[in-house]
Amino acid sequence: MATKQPRTLSFHFQPADSAAGDDANPHAKKTTLVDDTVAALKQEFGDDVLEVVQYAGERTVRVTTARIVDICRFLRDNLGFTYLCDLGGGDRFTEDERFEVHYNIVNMDAGKRIRIKVRTEEESPVVPSVTSVFPAADWNEREAWDMFGIRFEGHEDLRRMFMPEDFEYHPLRKEFPLLGIPGSLPLPPQVPTGELTLDPFPRAHGSIPPNSFDEVESEEEN
Amino acid sequence: MANDSSLSEGFLTTRVDAVVNWARSNSLMPMPMGLSCCAIEMMAFAAPKYDVARFGSEAMRFSPRQADLMIVAGWVSYKMAHTIRRVWDQMADPKWCIAMGACASTGGMHRCYGVVQGVDNFLPVDVYVPGCPPRPEALIHALMDIQEKIRNEYSVGQDGDFGTDHPAIAPVRPKVLSPSGDDVITPGGLYNQ
Amino acid sequence: MSIIQTTDFKETLKFWPRHNEAIYRRLESKHSWIEENPHGDGSPVDPLHNEMVLNIGPQHPATHGVLRCAVQLDGETIQKSVLDIGYLHRGMEKLAESKTYQEFMPYTDRMDYLSPYSNNVAWCLAVEKVAGIEVPERAQWIRMMMSELARISAHLLWMGVGLMDAGAVSVFLWAFQLREDLYAIFDEVAGARLTVSHSRIGGVVTDVDDTGMAMIREFTETFPVAHAGWIKLLNRNRIWIDRNVGIGVMTKEDAISRGMTGPNLRGSGIQHDIRRFEPYLKYDEVDFNIPLREEGDALARYFIRMEEMMESIKIVRQCLDKLQTLKGPIRANDAKHSYPSKDEVYYSMEGLIHDFMYTDTGTCPPKGGASYHAIEAPKGELGFYIESDGTGSPARVKMNTPSFTNLQGLEHLLEGALMGDMVILIGTVDPVLGESDK
Repeated sequence: MATKQPRTLSFHFQPADSAAGDDANPHAKKTTLVDDTVAALKQEFGDDVLEVVQYAGERTVRVTTARIVDICRFLRDNLGFTYLCDLGGGDRFTEDERFEVHYNIVNMDAGKRIRIKVRTEEESPVVPSVTSVFPAADWNEREAWDMFGIRFEGHEDLRRMFMPEDFEYHPLRKEFPLLGIPGSLPLPPQVPTGELTLDPFPRAHGSIPPNSFDEVESEEEN
Repeated sequence: MANDSSLSEGFLTTRVDAVVNWARSNSLMPMPMGLSCCAIEMMAFAAPKYDVARFGSEAMRFSPRQADLMIVAGWVSYKMAHTIRRVWDQMADPKWCIAMGACASTGGMHRCYGVVQGVDNFLPVDVYVPGCPPRPEALIHALMDIQEKIRNEYSVGQDGDFGTDHPAIAPVRPKVLSPSGDDVITPGGLYNQ
Repeated sequence: MSIIQTTDFKETLKFWPRHNEAIYRRLESKHSWIEENPHGDGSPVDPLHNEMVLNIGPQHPATHGVLRCAVQLDGETIQKSVLDIGYLHRGMEKLAESKTYQEFMPYTDRMDYLSPYSNNVAWCLAVEKVAGIEVPERAQWIRMMMSELARISAHLLWMGVGLMDAGAVSVFLWAFQLREDLYAIFDEVAGARLTVSHSRIGGVVTDVDDTGMAMIREFTETFPVAHAGWIKLLNRNRIWIDRNVGIGVMTKEDAISRGMTGPNLRGSGIQHDIRRFEPYLKYDEVDFNIPLREEGDALARYFIRMEEMMESIKIVRQCLDKLQTLKGPIRANDAKHSYPSKDEVYYSMEGLIHDFMYTDTGTCPPKGGASYHAIEAPKGELGFYIESDGTGSPARVKMNTPSFTNLQGLEHLLEGALMGDMVILIGTVDPVLGESDK
């Protein structure tokens, strides 16, 4: 029997210089190479197109907040970007222009995808609503209101999306703690006729809900 | 036969208890509070391969008035907790509760603002099933545990605690010894006041 | 008298009074395209000409999850409807900001829990795009094959539950019988039935061995037989067709403007599938059709989903054939971007250190990098928009989930429908509330 050869591991560590930011990103798609669309936007809106960021083959166009509705209408009617794919808020956590909203719009026929961004301030963040151009923006804007507190002017029904209306905070802001604020969301009462439980961990603090509950005696006699 | 009143524990009542408990345990009607992924495993537990009908729980009743076992399957958000409690209150006695999965038992992997960290914060849970999601066999095991619990109940005899309010039981904290090992010191903090 | 005027929400409800008041206020003030009954002026209310507000609460027998609808009914017709979601809200986007990219993988399993493998792949692809990681070929084929099996699993559950809600309970049992076969495959290949987390950033965790391949091949033989049986039963079934034809018609313009996605879009005649629009994995190298229908009603979506299941089998067969011959690594060989193999971890110092570092810090995409990657999940377009701040955890993750966008369309579909069709409508839009509520 031949002696057992020691195992050699084929282990080569090659720190790859990943072309993350280029158009040569391994996952870059042809649909996001929309330089012609960016050029058309710049030509139509001039100074309102503030910044164009290229990353991983995508184009993100930052525009002035006041003109977002016009820009969306131009994209939809003139450039064929009829489908609003996504709309979301963001918290940059900077002193200046803290919140941002991004719009992900698709041209199905020509196979194009572009991202538009707007920024707004912290004190009273207001962004014009694009529901008149893209009705699909409806719930997404409500979600941005719920999570960040960004008001959308012109949205006909700006209610909270996920949290109940009684909740007073905006959870996705960076200063909101991950575990929440005790008492902001009450739990049900421990007995059916009791008061709402404000403690988020009543069980750990010794309060065990009783299994059977005797009905409270009513005043009336049968 | 006992000399006391007919409702206290005696030969006849234990026989009646046995029959009643046998009937109750073998015909549990689950109310599936199926919220999320555990609900899919609960559907699998009712499906042909892990058939729960052979345990008598074929009739999944979605109306709380007709059910006696509530299986909370999935994470409970604070918004949903009140609905679940309301449904629980509408169920008639005797009723039992299974907290299925890690999320219903303790909040699971979702340690965040939206999820109640364990359904036992507002519901009296009888059996907790660990798993994320628990296999249908684990849920069947939980069902069998509930059946075992039912078989040991006092249904007819009044010697049990049936119907009385349970006072809040403070959890037993481990004793903390001083560095020398002699005395027991009372640590400060939120839980020791 | 409106429900807002006659109810003092703080008195009647102990919980969420402002929330419920807001819902009913919205219901009242909503402008519906359905002609409303003109209100009388002070004359006694005739019960036959009165509108009823019904709350179809978060807990209901329709098994699609915790969705609440407040509807205003005129007899059996729904005039206005307001959907209330958020009963399954966890704050996933906030959770993502405190986990590393790899740690977040199990959370994606629990989003669309009918096809967890798809969500894993979507997250992996999104992270790989933002960090610029190249995935080896064999891993891409494995991911594609398992994603298509997950698509079949999701559509099977749609079929079983949709038909059970409509009354045909046997279909539920047949669907689950086949789903158990799929679960056995996932168990063998990935180690878990439902919450698989088999994908890793940079590839997959383990290779598919011969047992797994044999099980998948057997599934591709038994599934079409069962599928043919259901087609024979349902496709020309008078009752099923009558319940679905003309229900929930979504016109082409409406579907695009309301942002519907997935089979809902293709049922209205719009040829838009991310597998063809922005091909990912190896979808541009396999041969499959995208089913398309023009009518836009529930029956069209039913046909599309049934056909999509057979197209997925086609793709799985091609993947199996390819995987027989294609050998290679199943994870990227870059220690900064993906886990080393277990051999390396156990038998070499560098491997151990890399494993530890990867678990501790993980992939760090360049600071300021932000990108979006979408896949065609069974429900529609599932995309993750990731903004990176140079650390191992993302700065912002926005999940574009198909069920969220489809539910907006459901509100529109409900108006004008009959109460009895509501279950069919929810089934045809096929929401998964865990994904829609993030």
